[in-house]
Amino acid sequence: MAKKNRPKLNITMRRKLVVLYGLVLLAFVGLGARLLWIARENGAQYEKQVLSQQHYDSVTIPYRRGDIVDAKGTILATSEKVYNLIIDSSVMTYDDKYIEPTLNAVQQCFPDADITAIRNHVYANKEKEAGSRSAWYVALKQISYEDKQAFENMQNDPDNEDASLIKGVWFEDEYKRVYPNGSLAAHVIGFTKAGGQNEGQYGLEEYYNDMLNGIDGREYGYMNDDATLERTVKPAVDGYTIHSSIDANVQSVIEKYLKQFNDEHVNGNKDGNGAEHIACIAMEVDTGRVLGMAEYPTFDLNNTRDTTPLLGTRAYEMITNDNGYQVIKKTDTVITQEVLDEMPDDQVYLNLNNLWKNFCISNTYEPGSTAKPFTVAAALESGTITGNEVYACNGFLTKSEHKIKCHNYKSGGCGEVSVTNSIAWSCNVALMKIGDTLGKKRFCEFQRIFNFGLKTNIDLAGEARTATLIYTPDQMVDSDLATNTFGQNFNTTMIQMITGYCSLINGGYYYEPHIVDKITNANGATIKNIEPRVLKQTVSESTSAFIRNATRETVMQGGRATGSTARPAGYAIGGKTGTAETIPRGNNEYVVSFMGHAPADDPKVAIYVVVDRANNWKQDDAKYATGIVRNIFTEILPYLNIFMTEELSEKEIKELEEKQIAITNMYTTPSEEEGESTTGENKDTSSSETVTDSTGETALKVPAWMSYPIDSATGYRVDPKTGNQFDAKTGEPITDTSVLDDDVPVNSNIINVQDDAGGVE
Amino acid sequence: MAEIKDITEARKKILGNYFDYSMLFMVIFLLGFGLLMVYSASSYTSEQSYGDAAYYLKRQFIADVLGIIAMFVVMFIPYKFWSKFPIAAYAISIVSIILIIPFGIESHGAKRWLKVAFGFNVQPAEIAKLCMIVVLAVVVAKMGKGIRAWKGFFVAIGWSLPIAALIRLITNNMSSALIVVGIAFLMVFVASPDYKKFILMVLAGAALFAVLVLVARAGMSNGNFRFGRLAVWLDPESQAQGQGFQVLQGLYAIGSGGIFGKGLGESMQKINYLPEAQNDMIFSVVCEELGIFGAFGIMLIFLLLLWRMMIVAQNAKDSFGLMLVVGVMAHIAIQVMLNIAVVSNSIPNTGVSLPFISYGGSSVLFLMAEIGLVFSVARGIEVSQS
Repeated sequence: MAKKNRPKLNITMRRKLVVLYGLVLLAFVGLGARLLWIARENGAQYEKQVLSQQHYDSVTIPYRRGDIVDAKGTILATSEKVYNLIIDSSVMTYDDKYIEPTLNAVQQCFPDADITAIRNHVYANKEKEAGSRSAWYVALKQISYEDKQAFENMQNDPDNEDASLIKGVWFEDEYKRVYPNGSLAAHVIGFTKAGGQNEGQYGLEEYYNDMLNGIDGREYGYMNDDATLERTVKPAVDGYTIHSSIDANVQSVIEKYLKQFNDEHVNGNKDGNGAEHIACIAMEVDTGRVLGMAEYPTFDLNNTRDTTPLLGTRAYEMITNDNGYQVIKKTDTVITQEVLDEMPDDQVYLNLNNLWKNFCISNTYEPGSTAKPFTVAAALESGTITGNEVYACNGFLTKSEHKIKCHNYKSGGCGEVSVTNSIAWSCNVALMKIGDTLGKKRFCEFQRIFNFGLKTNIDLAGEARTATLIYTPDQMVDSDLATNTFGQNFNTTMIQMITGYCSLINGGYYYEPHIVDKITNANGATIKNIEPRVLKQTVSESTSAFIRNATRETVMQGGRATGSTARPAGYAIGGKTGTAETIPRGNNEYVVSFMGHAPADDPKVAIYVVVDRANNWKQDDAKYATGIVRNIFTEILPYLNIFMTEELSEKEIKELEEKQIAITNMYTTPSEEEGESTTGENKDTSSSETVTDSTGETALKVPAWMSYPIDSATGYRVDPKTGNQFDAKTGEPITDTSVLDDDVPVNSNIINVQDDAGGVE
Repeated sequence: MAEIKDITEARKKILGNYFDYSMLFMVIFLLGFGLLMVYSASSYTSEQSYGDAAYYLKRQFIADVLGIIAMFVVMFIPYKFWSKFPIAAYAISIVSIILIIPFGIESHGAKRWLKVAFGFNVQPAEIAKLCMIVVLAVVVAKMGKGIRAWKGFFVAIGWSLPIAALIRLITNNMSSALIVVGIAFLMVFVASPDYKKFILMVLAGAALFAVLVLVARAGMSNGNFRFGRLAVWLDPESQAQGQGFQVLQGLYAIGSGGIFGKGLGESMQKINYLPEAQNDMIFSVVCEELGIFGAFGIMLIFLLLLWRMMIVAQNAKDSFGLMLVVGVMAHIAIQVMLNIAVVSNSIPNTGVSLPFISYGGSSVLFLMAEIGLVFSVARGIEVSQS
């Protein structure tokens, strides 16, 4: 190519043009070098930077923690969707006209939100250049769906002129743990940590934490290979639902009567609750399923930090003991509002922790005479007795040079006692003699067979270890064996006792106790079925039949038998009372209990009630426990489809009718006030009972728990107020109190357990 | 052989003039590449804001088509035609800028656009750049040797100053003002045989800038941030969440791309982090996705384009044509250099788009018109067989 006609004038221009091009070329080279330098010097660091900031770009979709439901599907714990209010100031400040209408709308719909803080945030963000990173602001947490809906309605309201100007407000999903029944089965269910964390504490929430929790999902946008936008949602996997064997109806009946006992004995002998602990377990005999498990005092699962339930309990404090260890000790102080006000926060927390603990599995105590059937069963099973023996009881037996008394030592002993009656009358001397036939080694073997000293492995968090709280044969002296035969000087938990008892009466099958039947996923598909599991055979069927008969005699025999007061009208049941002296001995403090089953001959349901140190000047009265059992059985046996087998006396019919009316009233009473007045009446009635009794009037609105039926069944004259005094007059005590003299040696391992937090590891 | 010669003669008569196909190819390539990069850089944010990943792509495509039409229209108008209207061109640029005061449209916090039709807006600053080239080409051509004197130099540069001042004051657009002055400066540089004046000017400018930098540095150490942009330029990480955010994110993009990049469409920075990824910062996305290698490729194409323009200018029939091409060259060269310099934080941050590639309708439309001017000048060159 050649070009023509170049004007002379342009020659210098052309030269300068080349120079210009050269300069541009130079600049390009310079810039190219600069780019290369950036990539070489900072490439690695910038790459990390890009990846790290990208990390925060995706949105987490929270999973929903699974529900806990009872055997009938009643929801005990659930997770409710709530919303967090998010202010996105980068959107809100995109145009100045959005800011004020949006802030006004937020203020109007969410009066709880700190509008000043939001305003400050928005304007602080507006001052900065676009792209500033802190545009996201969580203004309010856990808003209900209704509140969110109200805001969205306002935003979409066609009549609202400003609606289109409301911008930059989002809602983020979150879940909140809710317990629809408040305090129902609080100790069994447990709760989750405060602040929306899905971490279970205590009970099922802790034990099944991993099952209940799911996996968070994620939502993120990215460019795919075709450079198009992809919005990917990896959905959250919701947690599994736990189906408990607890029956909410059984549970609430149990809780009602535990509370009733408390209300009747509150501020009795001294200020404070009706007892230190009142606890109950109901278990299905042939499966080990727990139907109900409760204790008083309890707490509200929706407000676990509430200190009101602490009022009336004995305060715990952390002290340094003689060996220099920090231990938690029970003090004699009863918590009142004044005490609470002065208590430092960590002490309050200590006491709350103790309140949250499940007495039924975490606390240990000396079981007392409820251990007698175990001793007898062990002797029968090992063949050291036949069951036909008759023992003579003159009120005491001397062991290791200590005089160990029977409960009717003062009236000269029980006389001739058959093996059956050793249980029915709760004779310590007979038991000590049976224990002698067993010997220390075999006794300890059988304790192991009955699972004492071992965990039951119930599926609840916080089961106590009792390995050190029972004897080994080499540690035992004669007096230890003697006291052990009637349940003193070794510690058990309630769950150990009732699980072992079920095996004694069901033909010897020791079922692993469990409180969860089934685990399903969020769609309802079964993940795991928890079938009843027989761990071992403790005794043979013939021994079991003997124990069933002996426990039946305890309740049904009348006369000197100790358990008559536990019998619900119309039913034949079996059971065993227990009254154990606490440590230190001799200060008149007792744990009374009743362990029973119904029906007597074909056990379906077993129950165990423990009243730890009742608030009464006289604590050693098994009627505290039998009364509760009777009330509970009266209500739950019909519910569990266990029918009456015994004839009802007129008095019993009347009593049942009144009870039915009282229960119906409970659910139909329109207002709370009247409900309370009913309780008031209740109290009045029990106080006026003496009067009614002496005058022969039967116009009782609500039957008291230790009233006429006892009289009619046994022929005893038992005055509910002062009954124990009059008992002595007849010379035939109906208590089975173990009165251990101060000099009887005490298992050193259980001394500390008795008063401290209860021997939980 | 005679037949072939006849055919060639015949063709010469039909086509008549020179047409630079390689330049056309490069321009079309840059436009196509621009569409690709605009889509890549914007699809995520446009999906978020408009629910349509191709929102920016579509608008840019329409602008490109309009630009190509404009290019051909201008190409077939003999460039001499424009030499008749310097006053009109000057007036149009002034009036269009002033019209912003009553009719301007605000976007991205600045009022720089005039509404035209169908939802398309036009940026008067871009009109002004085109008009400036025409006006100065006329002025320089008329001035002839008068340009050699200081007076001629100042008169020529002086024409650009009112326009630049208006752009700066009315649209608050420092970079466009600088580009207008820069175009004038480079056109005068080519027109004038002198070097001394320009070296002096450049030295004076550099000295002024150095003083500013020193003052800014002193101010920063006292905690005074009045020289915001300079301070950010000197130490972008000090204001990583504020004014330095865009620059720093751009650098992250370049650095993380490495030599060969993450691959087309694989930029991570464009997702929510790099503001104006499809616009002023598009070169960062190029660097991140295609690496230094791709970036050098694009720079090379710009150099080749400028080289083809230089060839056209060298062969222009008259000095008006030559100066027109020089003006277009200067415009493109300045914008490319400023854009890459900003992106690489070689100069303080100022909003300059990358010619043909950045998203922006007005920019493409008027740039293509300028390319049309170059082709028009090229058509004036008579080609003969050697």
